[in-house]
Amino acid sequence: MATSESIASREEIGRQELMLQVGFIRSNTFRWASAVAGVLAVFVVVLFGFIYWKIDQYLITRSDRMIAQQIRYIAELPPERRINAIEDHLAQDSRSVQFAGLFDPKGNLLAGNIEQLPEGLEIGAPVRTVKVARAERKELGDPLVRAIAQRLPNGDTFMIGRNVDETGEISHVVGEALALGLLPAFCLCLLAGAWLSLRAQKRVEEVNQRVQRIIAGNLRERLPHRNVDEPFSRLAAIVNGMLDEMETMITALSGVGNDIAHDLRTPLTRARLTLERGRTNATTLEQLQEVADKAIAGIDQSLTIITALLRLAEIENSRRSAAFGSVALHQMVREVCDVYEPIAEDKGINLGVRIADDLEVRGDRDLLFEAVANLVDNAIKFTSAGGRVDLELAREDRETIVRVTDTGPGINRQETEAVLRRFYRSDKIRNTPGVGLGLNLVSAIVKLHGFRLVIHPGPGGRVEIISPDGKLN
Amino acid sequence: MAMLAGERMVAGSKSARAAGVFAAIETNLMAKVLLIEDDSETAEEITAELTDRGFEVEWSSNGIDGLDKARSLRPDAMIVDRLLPGMDGLTVIEALRKDQVRTPVLVLSALGAVDDRVRGLRMGGDDYLTKPFAVVELIARIEALLRRPVETRETTLRVGPLELDLIERTVKRGERRIELLPREFRLLEYMMRRSDQLLTRAMLLEEVWNYKFVPATNLVDVHMGRLRHKVDGPGDTPMIHNVRGAGFVLRTLP
Repeated sequence: MATSESIASREEIGRQELMLQVGFIRSNTFRWASAVAGVLAVFVVVLFGFIYWKIDQYLITRSDRMIAQQIRYIAELPPERRINAIEDHLAQDSRSVQFAGLFDPKGNLLAGNIEQLPEGLEIGAPVRTVKVARAERKELGDPLVRAIAQRLPNGDTFMIGRNVDETGEISHVVGEALALGLLPAFCLCLLAGAWLSLRAQKRVEEVNQRVQRIIAGNLRERLPHRNVDEPFSRLAAIVNGMLDEMETMITALSGVGNDIAHDLRTPLTRARLTLERGRTNATTLEQLQEVADKAIAGIDQSLTIITALLRLAEIENSRRSAAFGSVALHQMVREVCDVYEPIAEDKGINLGVRIADDLEVRGDRDLLFEAVANLVDNAIKFTSAGGRVDLELAREDRETIVRVTDTGPGINRQETEAVLRRFYRSDKIRNTPGVGLGLNLVSAIVKLHGFRLVIHPGPGGRVEIISPDGKLN
Repeated sequence: MAMLAGERMVAGSKSARAAGVFAAIETNLMAKVLLIEDDSETAEEITAELTDRGFEVEWSSNGIDGLDKARSLRPDAMIVDRLLPGMDGLTVIEALRKDQVRTPVLVLSALGAVDDRVRGLRMGGDDYLTKPFAVVELIARIEALLRRPVETRETTLRVGPLELDLIERTVKRGERRIELLPREFRLLEYMMRRSDQLLTRAMLLEEVWNYKFVPATNLVDVHMGRLRHKVDGPGDTPMIHNVRGAGFVLRTLP
């Protein structure tokens, strides 16, 4: 009871932690959305300001150019036509933004709609902003205009100006556009933020429920995954891949556990039986010693299996690629051959060696030696008298290959993968002594080096250790 | 481990076989061995075996006491368990070496716990053995440590009628020249440097073949068979002896 309670409370704590996390994610997402909205608003305001400023500038420049053109045009007219031209010019101005004045040298207005030459307007200077006094409709006030003045050849002074109040209208329009565009955009941002954070929260909650089920022991459970290319789905796909691998490993591990139990139980049972029988039946010291010897043999076999397993684990877990050096394969292959030559000869097997070239790979010499020796050992073991075993070092397709071939039964197609399973022993060879971990060891060593182990289906054994070029561990 | 299957010696000096194998030990009679091992049952077994074979054994159950004894008793050899209460076995050895104590050490280490530090011991002339081990292996290794071959300037090794020239790389038995393959030469050289000494298969694999693993096939036996065939010709008194359940020994006496 106590245990189930503690599990329940642990789950409760887990849930609370998760809710906190969800809250955090929500507020975090939402805060991000608000920040983005704020930045967007500032950006839009600046943009509009810039547009306003640019348009204003453009209009002023344009009107300045027009004023300059007009003053040149009127100044070039003969004096008798000037007054008419000025009056025409003003008459055409329906929006009454145009100002003009022709003054005689004494300063009297000859033609135009301003009372006097505005103050601060320098004659012959470029266009500038000045305040003019209207000659008519004074109630409208003195406007600020862009104006230019010129001394005419007959001594008169001519001034022309244009009201640029339009910029005010533009700023009004810009402001309106700003209000119309920015406010909805800002609201949209906040809404999107809220929606995203809600969605994330929902998915995290969904993932949490599945993960809780996995923690509870349901290893088949997977994270929700939609077939779209978005981060959450991709993350889920990655985690699912990891879960797949872990499930396979755990299944394999329990399988290995069973295998170990079986393989250890056999010799131990035998030892136990021997001891039991010996204890009852042995009458002389010699008989008892024989029994003890047999029992020890059984126990030693179990120990051999444990040693092999530990060694396998050691290699599989080692990341000692730092200890890698250059391994002269040609020397190593020759050495393996030297060691196994007498053994093959004793069995009546012809052991041949072919070395294509002096070839080197990066690796752990002792381990590679062990791997190749294991392959040759196996080949000799499974080849009957009169057969051949060949050890070959070759270069093919930018790959360095150590190949062991024999004329034994080989491994049939169905078994090429099975032989890499721990303790796998083909039924055909059940009676050949061995632990059944040899190829596992080779496979582990090959994997540690980043090489490939290829087992070709029979008839005839053919196993290759392949080291691709440019593979630096 | 595989080749030890069913080959363990029966305990006790009563065994005529063992007496023969370890006759050579008499040269080390009363050699003092310090055993540092925390498991009292293992310690008792080892002590009994060593005492039976004529060693004087001192036992210490933890690292600190062991270090004291090593300093005060000046043993000829030490057997040190890797994992000890108080002070780790390797630390004890390091402390001794710092004091310039060169006593040879055999380290007992658990299966699968043989790391580089333990392997490194071999460099210093020490040795290691993984638990569980056959008693005969332990004795052979202790004996090997006690009788480490003297580094001589001699370029010729002689054992009885056998003569091995290290420079010319030739071997003669009496007047008969023996042609050896390079590995056979190395094997014979190793055995001649340790004549009258029991050499286990594991020791030979490690030292002659440089194997860091135990091969499935008993290749030591096959190679030894060939060497014996060449060394002990027809009519010769056999010099290479197979000690059943233990290993091999090279000696002049039949």
